[in-house]
Amino acid sequence: MRISPPSLLRQNLLCAAALGLVFLSAPFPRLQAVVHILLVLALAPRAGSPLTGVLWAAAAGWALEGSLRLYPHMGGTAWADMTLALVAGGLAGRWPLEGVKGWLARLAGLLVAHTLLVHLAVRLASGPHAWGSGWFWALLSLPLWGWAIWRAMYTGPSPRLG
Amino acid sequence: MPIRAAKWGWSRARGQRFLIVVLWLGHGIWVLLGPAPGRHWTRVADAVSRPSQSLASRWAQWRVNRREAARSFTETRAENARLVAELAQVRTQAAQEAPRLAEADEAVRLLGLKRQIPLDLKAARVLFSTRPAAFGGLILDRGQDLGLVPDQGVLVPEGIVGRLWSVGPTQAKVLPVDAPNASVAVMLMRSRATGVLQGLGSGRALIRYISNQEVVQVGEAVLTSGLDRVFPRGLLVGYVAEVTKGDLELRVQVNLSAPLDRLSTVLLLPSQPPLEVQPPFVAPEQKPQRKRGTP
Repeated sequence: MRISPPSLLRQNLLCAAALGLVFLSAPFPRLQAVVHILLVLALAPRAGSPLTGVLWAAAAGWALEGSLRLYPHMGGTAWADMTLALVAGGLAGRWPLEGVKGWLARLAGLLVAHTLLVHLAVRLASGPHAWGSGWFWALLSLPLWGWAIWRAMYTGPSPRLG
Repeated sequence: MPIRAAKWGWSRARGQRFLIVVLWLGHGIWVLLGPAPGRHWTRVADAVSRPSQSLASRWAQWRVNRREAARSFTETRAENARLVAELAQVRTQAAQEAPRLAEADEAVRLLGLKRQIPLDLKAARVLFSTRPAAFGGLILDRGQDLGLVPDQGVLVPEGIVGRLWSVGPTQAKVLPVDAPNASVAVMLMRSRATGVLQGLGSGRALIRYISNQEVVQVGEAVLTSGLDRVFPRGLLVGYVAEVTKGDLELRVQVNLSAPLDRLSTVLLLPSQPPLEVQPPFVAPEQKPQRKRGTP
């Protein structure tokens, strides 16, 4: 069964909402990390075109680093986000999604790769920094938000709810 | 064959791809620049230039070491030159002090002799020696100013020197005992035989008027007998060097003990000294010398 792509408006609205949540959740770093990863890995790659997805990912990275105000030279997270958004979009175009399990597994792999790449990029940009536990909470809560994104973007409202 | 024309047209998809590449590369370059934009290039340059830096460091260290060594060498040479100059100065000073030291030693020795002979001895310096000339003698720096009169005995710690021959206002002439016209009353230490010592020159003298019956050994000490009233009894004159029998008397040659050629200071006995002085002056006895060829 081939899943039809979501509408462009819905994708961009969800991306905008997620970006707003990144700013709003700045006082709660764990939650902010989850929202940030959600935006980069799940929403941005399918936001209409690759360029739009890259822009949303870059915006997410800059928003996160700007709200943290920890790094002497920002941009590492945005670059990693752009890269992972491109990779995720490429994966989605090359291997279309078949079900929620594959979706979750792909998200888990992308999350790990995103965590490593973010730390590498930030290390290159501003030097060594402590590993936070945001990636852990994102991984822990992945089934929840992954399923939610799946329902919101790819399968529409639940048949039970009409 | 016609060349196929390349399609250089611009499409919306290509523009988006171009923008994506620009964004991604721009972010990547921005990330790689880091807090200090040139630090990566600096690291690379450091890594590349590390061998040459090490070489330059060693070269600089070698130059510093060489400079230090040269400075040390220069300082060492300067110190060496200074020490050489000091050594020359010390040697010159020692050479200047040597006569005074010798004179001081001589004075100490004369003082010892003066303590051994309880007489009113006077000291005088030898100014000049005319012994090599005929009827030569020693010229002293004191004369009538010290109360000297002719025929006063002259001696040194090694033995007697002679007698005053003539006395001037400030100088006096000594007739040494080895002069041909000098004579001293002597006696042999063991046999106690007495005789008259007459000079033969060159530090040697001959004892006359000793009987053939006397037994005289080579090496026997010869002392003054005091009979000439110039020297008191018991002063060392010399040692028997050779004994030969003559027709009537022994021919006894004596090596004088006083170094007549190397005198700088002498003591003068009072005129007409007593025959015997207390404590008696006892000369150390010299071991008998073996003649060559005798076992």
